[in-house]
Amino acid sequence: MIKNVTIFTTTTCAYCLMVKKYLGAKGLTYDEINLDENPERQQEVLAISGSLTVPVTVITKDDDSNEVVVGYNLAKLAPAVA
Amino acid sequence: MADQTDIAKHDVIIVGAGPAALSAAIYTTREDIDTLLFERAVPGGLAAVTDWVDNYPGFPEGVAGLELATNLQKQAERFGAIVEFGEVTAIRDEGHWKRLETTSGAYLARAVLIATGSDYKKIGVPGEAEYYARGVHYCATCDGAFYRDKRLVVVGGGNSAVQETMFLTRFASHIDMLVRSTIKASEVLQDELQKYVDSGKVTVHLQTATEEIVGEDGKVTKVIGKQSDKRVEFPTDGVFVFVGLKPNSEFLAGSGVELDHMHLVKSDENLKTIVDGVFVAGDIRSGATMQIASAAGEGATAALKIREYLEGHAHPVQN
Repeated sequence: MIKNVTIFTTTTCAYCLMVKKYLGAKGLTYDEINLDENPERQQEVLAISGSLTVPVTVITKDDDSNEVVVGYNLAKLAPAVA
Repeated sequence: MADQTDIAKHDVIIVGAGPAALSAAIYTTREDIDTLLFERAVPGGLAAVTDWVDNYPGFPEGVAGLELATNLQKQAERFGAIVEFGEVTAIRDEGHWKRLETTSGAYLARAVLIATGSDYKKIGVPGEAEYYARGVHYCATCDGAFYRDKRLVVVGGGNSAVQETMFLTRFASHIDMLVRSTIKASEVLQDELQKYVDSGKVTVHLQTATEEIVGEDGKVTKVIGKQSDKRVEFPTDGVFVFVGLKPNSEFLAGSGVELDHMHLVKSDENLKTIVDGVFVAGDIRSGATMQIASAAGEGATAALKIREYLEGHAHPVQN
């Protein structure tokens, strides 16, 4: 079961919009951290994902384990939120 | 012929959901032609990841690429177009029906529009793949924000390279543009870029080939180039690559559709390919002018030609 979903985004990022639309279509709520508004959290993205890119989606399960999906990658995102 | 029972059937399947595809879908769905689009990434295609579009008619102040893409999709969906997320992996002509193999299974269509556009090319130098998404990027609107007050290198000299360099000046402290020969961008864009060059924010290096992207401790630190046979180095925190477009036509292998020497789809003046019932529009078409406005125009034209085709190829009589 999913406890929480967090997406790191930037304002102009089209792929971020796609992830949000996908999660919305699945009826999932999420916390969004816009890195344009919160630049101090950019290093967190690197630490979590190993990448300096968005979108980065962090799916926290009930056991507090995290699954991280970098980019608009439905092949990984779909099973992660199933 | 493979079994065609129990397979989803549509009047038209459009491969792609960029400006050509969505424009075509607006036209077909307004005429009640059952239309399904397949998109493997972002509706709107490259337009969606372009910061600002100043040359699409009807927007005197320009429009954000993402906003234009979103509205194109909304307009197509308003008339009943369905955008399915997945990838078409093959097309086969089975006479009245065209079979499309996709990541969601097989589909049949009476007509197909190939509108898969293109993706940004890679340079193909050492370090490029190694540092992908960790210092090497292809999407300025996605990742530019990570480089606030940092140095950047932009590789490329066409419209995209110039446009996205200007976008990146919002964040970067300085940008070195590495241009293999001369800048090929439009005069309007070059004039705009000059302001950033005059202010010292951007330095353009002509006749400079990019040879290697180098990093240390997992971070990009410099780009090595060659300028008139002389090795040059550009210290940098990140590299954005805009070196042209690669057509998305690999999936057409075995379809019978003819490609030109640049792997673009050949067509006649009616946007028909050599395969009956298969049409093409937008950046993937050989002879296209690679503009959003012309892609939209080709999409509309293709839709009208598809309508004519469908009228002349009614459903076979069911016994």
